[in-house]
Amino acid sequence: MNLFKIDNLTKSFQNGEVEEQVLRGIDLTLNEGEVTALVGASGSGKSTLLTIAAGLQPASNGEVVFKGKNLTTMKQDQVRKIRAEQFGFIFQASHLVPFLNVEEQLMLMLDVAGSKMKKQEKKQEVERILKLVGMDHRKDAYPSSLSGGEKQRIAISRAIIHKPTIVFADEPTASLDSKRSIEVMQLIQDLTRSLNITTLLVTHEEEMLQYVDKIITMKDGLIQKGA
Amino acid sequence: MKMAWKEIIKNKSRFIILGSIVFLVSFLTLIISGLSNGLSQDNAALIKDMPEGTFYMNEDADETYNLSKIDQDTEDKLIKDHDDATALSIQMGFVDDANDKQLGVAFVTATNPGLFPEVADGEILLDESLKDKGVEVGDKLTNNQLSKDFTVKGFVEQQKFSHSPVAFINPTNYQEMYRVEDMQMVFVPGKDESAVNGLQAFSNKDFLNTIPSYSAEQLSLNMIVWFLVVISGMLFGIFFYMMNVQKIGLYGILKAIGVKTSKLFQMMWTQMVVITAVALALSVGLSQLFAAVAPEGMPFHLPLATTGQLAVVFVIIGFIGATLSGIQIKKIQPLQAIQQGEM
Repeated sequence: MNLFKIDNLTKSFQNGEVEEQVLRGIDLTLNEGEVTALVGASGSGKSTLLTIAAGLQPASNGEVVFKGKNLTTMKQDQVRKIRAEQFGFIFQASHLVPFLNVEEQLMLMLDVAGSKMKKQEKKQEVERILKLVGMDHRKDAYPSSLSGGEKQRIAISRAIIHKPTIVFADEPTASLDSKRSIEVMQLIQDLTRSLNITTLLVTHEEEMLQYVDKIITMKDGLIQKGA
Repeated sequence: MKMAWKEIIKNKSRFIILGSIVFLVSFLTLIISGLSNGLSQDNAALIKDMPEGTFYMNEDADETYNLSKIDQDTEDKLIKDHDDATALSIQMGFVDDANDKQLGVAFVTATNPGLFPEVADGEILLDESLKDKGVEVGDKLTNNQLSKDFTVKGFVEQQKFSHSPVAFINPTNYQEMYRVEDMQMVFVPGKDESAVNGLQAFSNKDFLNTIPSYSAEQLSLNMIVWFLVVISGMLFGIFFYMMNVQKIGLYGILKAIGVKTSKLFQMMWTQMVVITAVALALSVGLSQLFAAVAPEGMPFHLPLATTGQLAVVFVIIGFIGATLSGIQIKKIQPLQAIQQGEM
């Protein structure tokens, strides 16, 4: 089933007097529960496509349709609400809140997503997710005391704790060594499959592609193959 | 609320620096305000403690009370029309004690004893500050323009005029000392400022400004107080601006995951209120302690009402400063933060 559909999407930036066309008419669909990877050389437009799809920046033209609703015509606050409740994010850097411990990071995400759970239930849910990512023993730790791999595991936990429909991951393994990268990719694959979460990720590491269901290759702002 | 508090706890030194500056500026403001009020009391407690009403002076007096003379007919008419009105005169002068030591005073006399203490012929009632100069009840004081001695009848609290202790005397003695028949002014309590032919009307506040040096003194001190209030608002603005710039990445990520901009503002306002409350509690406490231990001769007067008003002003100005600096939060794009890398 088509959960997410991108139709004739373009994006251009004004660079001085020159208009740079970054996306030149992208058509793409994401199916429920699938892990899709966007690959391509630097400057091919894959990160721009991911951020527009995630509602983090506007498109110049075209449509981004999620569950039948066009994100490009929605008000900012409506898009924010969808981001909070239906989307999860994993970035290249973990981007954890530096003054919250692991448990509080995840509790915050539940609050932002408007969870109706009671405090105790939220704590139990946090505990459960931390167990899934093997970080339950670090729930009181602050980001400054976590290793890069641990931070990324917490970032993954934050992205899935509110049971989003789609997770957007922008180079989630770029800051990790190869061993940690494989662990993190396996974790993303396992979790998104077990929780039936659709995933769109950007990567430039070929060895990570064995963990995805669909590969879309981009070149010069266009999809070359896979869509 | 919890995020705001957690950030304060995790970044204590940053918030302590801001709090210390707010504390120092607010403490300085309260001290200067105390001095300003103290000088104001020292200059004009006599007038400030009177009920609201209207002072009438002769139009030809050029708004100078000691050049004013109100003729007897006009005075009689005003007092007849207003039961609680009183004619009064004020003159700077001095009395000599038994050891011929001169004591500077402001002689005050009034025809209607309702508003001022009643003093019989030959009696004098003094501000209590003269106790410190060795004057006691029953002492004989002299004035070289009066044919007889004054007997100290007692003391009154906080009655100063033009930085001198007030000496209440009987109108008969006043007329003899200053060789005048007419009183300088008539005071009518109440809000009725009806015009009287040949007289100029002054509210209590307007009359205070006719006291030489009063408005200049108060203007300077009040200007310092308000400058400090504005500076503290700017400090809030600058500090929160700097903190917000450092937190652009954090705010961007929080926005990306769906945190409302209003929540980020609430976080900043909570921090502002916590810092201001702690800094103000310290500065109010210390300034009240200072008021209690200030040297006797120092004109320092800091009532709790003034302290409360300044505290409210500080909270409002802090709120404005923080909010103006927070406008950038509204402009932050989540994408900026993601592109900035690790926070």
